[in-house]
Amino acid sequence: MAQAAVQMDESELIRSAQRGDQEAFEQLVRLYDQNVLRLAYNLLRSTEDAHDIYQEAFLRVHKNLHNFRFDCSFHTWLYRIVTNLCLDALRKRRVRREESSVVETSEGVVNRMDTVEEERAHGDPQRQLLSNQLGEKIREVLSSLTPRERTVFEMRHYQGLRLKTIGEILGTSEEAAKNCLFRATQKMRAGLGDFV
Amino acid sequence: MKCEEVKNSLPLFLYGELSFDEEENVELHIDECADCRSALEREKTLFRSLDAVEAFPAPELLDDCRADLRRNLARAQPQRSGFWDKIREGFTIHFHFAPGFAQPVGALAMLIVGFTAARMLPNSFLGSFHAAGVMDPVMSRVRYVEPTTAGKIRITVDETRQRILSGDLEDRDIQRLLLSAAKDPADDGLRVESVDLLRNRPQSTEVRSALLYALEHDPNAGVRLKALDGLKDFADDPETSKTLTHVLLADDNPGVRTRVIDLLIPHHSGAMVGVLQELMAKEDNDYIRMRCQQVLHDMRASVETY
Repeated sequence: MAQAAVQMDESELIRSAQRGDQEAFEQLVRLYDQNVLRLAYNLLRSTEDAHDIYQEAFLRVHKNLHNFRFDCSFHTWLYRIVTNLCLDALRKRRVRREESSVVETSEGVVNRMDTVEEERAHGDPQRQLLSNQLGEKIREVLSSLTPRERTVFEMRHYQGLRLKTIGEILGTSEEAAKNCLFRATQKMRAGLGDFV
Repeated sequence: MKCEEVKNSLPLFLYGELSFDEEENVELHIDECADCRSALEREKTLFRSLDAVEAFPAPELLDDCRADLRRNLARAQPQRSGFWDKIREGFTIHFHFAPGFAQPVGALAMLIVGFTAARMLPNSFLGSFHAAGVMDPVMSRVRYVEPTTAGKIRITVDETRQRILSGDLEDRDIQRLLLSAAKDPADDGLRVESVDLLRNRPQSTEVRSALLYALEHDPNAGVRLKALDGLKDFADDPETSKTLTHVLLADDNPGVRTRVIDLLIPHHSGAMVGVLQELMAKEDNDYIRMRCQQVLHDMRASVETY
């Protein structure tokens, strides 16, 4: 691939995109979109929902980029948009009780817990200890978390974000994010303690 | 630290989210407590179990998301009027600058752009535009060519569509675009026109910064002279004065240096003596040398440094 554009640093990209440079906007999207999609997919466990969150998040970024004043990092600003969308989707789903153990993959729709077991079978001995029951339990516990607990847990455990950053993203304090994570891990330990 | 307290802290301990002191206390306790060491191992096992159920989106999903985003962004652009309306808009914008000949030039330019687009875009691509009833003048070029994981080829086409904005210099959007155009390295004429318009609003700090930037960095002397003209009432402003002094010593165009010295001299101070003496040592323009000499004489300073 011949890419004529010179790589710019992030703030340059943002400024160029603010001036209407579509190529800069696309580069900016590509800096973050894999992680955004992973977060949305892991939280919502649905290809369709993750796709919708991706579209809506970056369309909002595009629409509001001119209002971005570098008061916080672009990452924080973007994740604020993404997590708000995910929280809304989780809350709606909670109301509709649509949580399902099936996920869509390139091979079609599969049960998430079957995948877990398959991974165990080919993994190290520790992983092989996990059974269908454990997978089912993990699913139950994850779905029993509140949307905020689930989001904080996903961002800390799977995205590796610090609690301070998570607090900024969710518009709360580091301490509140810590309490939220604590509650989530307590619930998980209570639910899964007998299996591990 | 009690065992219960330690066990409750284990998740945050593994995440590295405890304070230095808390972490120290947990480590000390674990070293001495077999029960808590076991609890830590169980916690690690739990973490690994959770790691294992992380869901990863298929690579095709990312490809689809990116392609759909491009389409959605294109759709999100303001709806445009028809081709002939565009030409009429072209008349309007050019009328402000050159009423005598700009209308036919504007129309011709739009036709050329439309014709070029037709030449550059594949027929099927154009067909979809026709089908959608969209006939905006479009300039296109292939930006990326890349294989996708699904064995297909993805081609990213850059499209440049003309959009006409009108407003006065107080309009933020107009000003923002002018400030951007004033730095366009590819088009000297665009920079001259932009700085020429901006120089009427030097009261704005943003505009003044752009004028100072143009004066100091623009490779085109015409742009620098326009910028200088915009700054003429701010020669006593410290930042402007500093830039003018630098330009006086560094600019290679005698016309620019002449204009600068004329602006600086009415506001000269003792601090300028060294600058003028330095200038006298290397300046070969007679007028500038004469002006320097006059000022140095008035200030009872020597013409040369020893």
